Amino acid sequence: MMMIRNIITLTVNDLAIAFKNKSIFLILFIPFFVYISLMLVDEAGVEIKRVNIGLIQSQHYPPVILESIQSADKLFSILTVSSKEEGNQWLKEKKIDGLLLRPEKDKISLVLVVLKKESVLSLQIVESFSALQKAVEGNGINWISDIKPLQEGGIQRQTLPTWILMLVMLVSFIIMPAQIAEEKEKKLLLALLQTPMREIEWLMAKLFLGMILIFIAVLFLHLMGRFDFGNVLSYIAFIGVGSFCFSAYGILLGFFCRSQAGARTLGVIFYLPHLLPSALSEFSQKLSTVAPFLPSYPFFESVKSVLLDDRRISTLFPAWLYLLFIGLLTFFISYLLMKKRWRM
Amino acid sequence: MQIKIQNLSKTYQATRGLLPVDLEVEEGELIALIGHNGAGKSTLLKLLAGWLIPDSGQVFVDDINLKNRLAVVRKIGFVPETPNLFDFFTVEYNLKLFARLFQVPFQRIDEILKAFNLLPFRNNKVQVLSKGLKQRVSIGRTLLADPAVLLFDEPTSGIDFEMTKEIYKLLKEFHSSGKTIIFTSHRPEEIKTLATRIMVLHQGDLVFDGSPQSYFQSDIHEKLYL
Repeated sequence: MMMIRNIITLTVNDLAIAFKNKSIFLILFIPFFVYISLMLVDEAGVEIKRVNIGLIQSQHYPPVILESIQSADKLFSILTVSSKEEGNQWLKEKKIDGLLLRPEKDKISLVLVVLKKESVLSLQIVESFSALQKAVEGNGINWISDIKPLQEGGIQRQTLPTWILMLVMLVSFIIMPAQIAEEKEKKLLLALLQTPMREIEWLMAKLFLGMILIFIAVLFLHLMGRFDFGNVLSYIAFIGVGSFCFSAYGILLGFFCRSQAGARTLGVIFYLPHLLPSALSEFSQKLSTVAPFLPSYPFFESVKSVLLDDRRISTLFPAWLYLLFIGLLTFFISYLLMKKRWRM
Repeated sequence: MQIKIQNLSKTYQATRGLLPVDLEVEEGELIALIGHNGAGKSTLLKLLAGWLIPDSGQVFVDDINLKNRLAVVRKIGFVPETPNLFDFFTVEYNLKLFARLFQVPFQRIDEILKAFNLLPFRNNKVQVLSKGLKQRVSIGRTLLADPAVLLFDEPTSGIDFEMTKEIYKLLKEFHSSGKTIIFTSHRPEEIKTLATRIMVLHQGDLVFDGSPQSYFQSDIHEKLYL
């Protein structure tokens, strides 16, 4: 009897601790997050987005197909490109969703060039063409005989940007806030402030810690998976600005917490929403409209474009500047909080 | 080294903290700050150490405003009640880190280790040391830059009788070397022969400021402790 009473007492105490250090919020937050995510995943009745189809000016497309596409203006909008190269470039820049090629003049079939074969958008284009053909011709030879993706390299390489995003978020939202909260909790930061060290020096050291950890993790990932770096300069520029932005973000989260336990909880609360919509936006139209509001999205999209589409920083400069701005802003807020000895 | 405190205050949500207080501390004084828990003793020391930002008032150390942290940081050393050391590193690592930040030669570390009988523990991780030893490392770290003012928050809290005697001996030595010392205590009887001046804080208010003789002759001691 005594034993049961003690177990109950200790369990209640453990629950009180979990409540106090806010770990208990996770059991509420995670189901809530899953619920919101599921709401954002496309359902069967979702309104179909009109897709932009690129046609090459010099190519002669079968009139029956051309007329059908033009008349289905709720499904397609047509954009004309001067060459296949320009079409590919427009695809990479997402000005068009698919490019139609006519490889052989005597045959009616077309080749569809898309950015990525396994995407909701590619599936939608193929289904739309199939429905259109059925309405015009009934059953016949498929108008689209082949689908060529621009992003090659297998599923391992396709998933690389997601793993990189995951690593960056892990260092920034899980490791960094906990380390900062630990220094605050143990009064180590205050001890350091008893020396001629400047606040900015401590913050810069923490920033470099985050950036170094991210660079090591990314390098290790490339070495283990034997992935090449694509355009090295652009890639380094984005990993650099991303690691700066999210390390500064993580430092700020650390300042909001008094204890390590609190920092871990807050870290998870920020980690999941920043990770999932960006990584899953390709599978859902709704998610792709929500994701751009998160700073993780321009980072993810830019890394993906550099790695998979061989794009350069010159064409992705607004995203780079945005990440730099968020990093500088969060860094500055952390500096102000440190000056005020916030929650120390 | 003179400290001027003008209208200094700090309030918390739940407690009164420290009500506006004006004080002057002359060079070479050994001041015992006494009072019950929550009286504002630690708050006052933390404000002087720059751990807390005051709600109002100013502190001048040799006419330099405490807000100018970098100008006064070498002049004031603070030893908190709980030693705040990097537990997972060795004693020597802790001292080296702070020696680098204070820009003092590593030779000073050997002097400190020797002076505080820490030589046998120099390669021990701090987490395995007793609280008394940790307190010695903490004091040693504070003395790296040889500050003229030393602040001790409950220096004898949680340590045994022998170590308490040792700490008081150290305070006397620092005082005789010309340092200005302010320390907090719960136990007025213990500081009877130690302090040159006693200040009593009660519920954030400074209710007594005078010599040990006048303190023990007054009725304040009876009112607060008996």
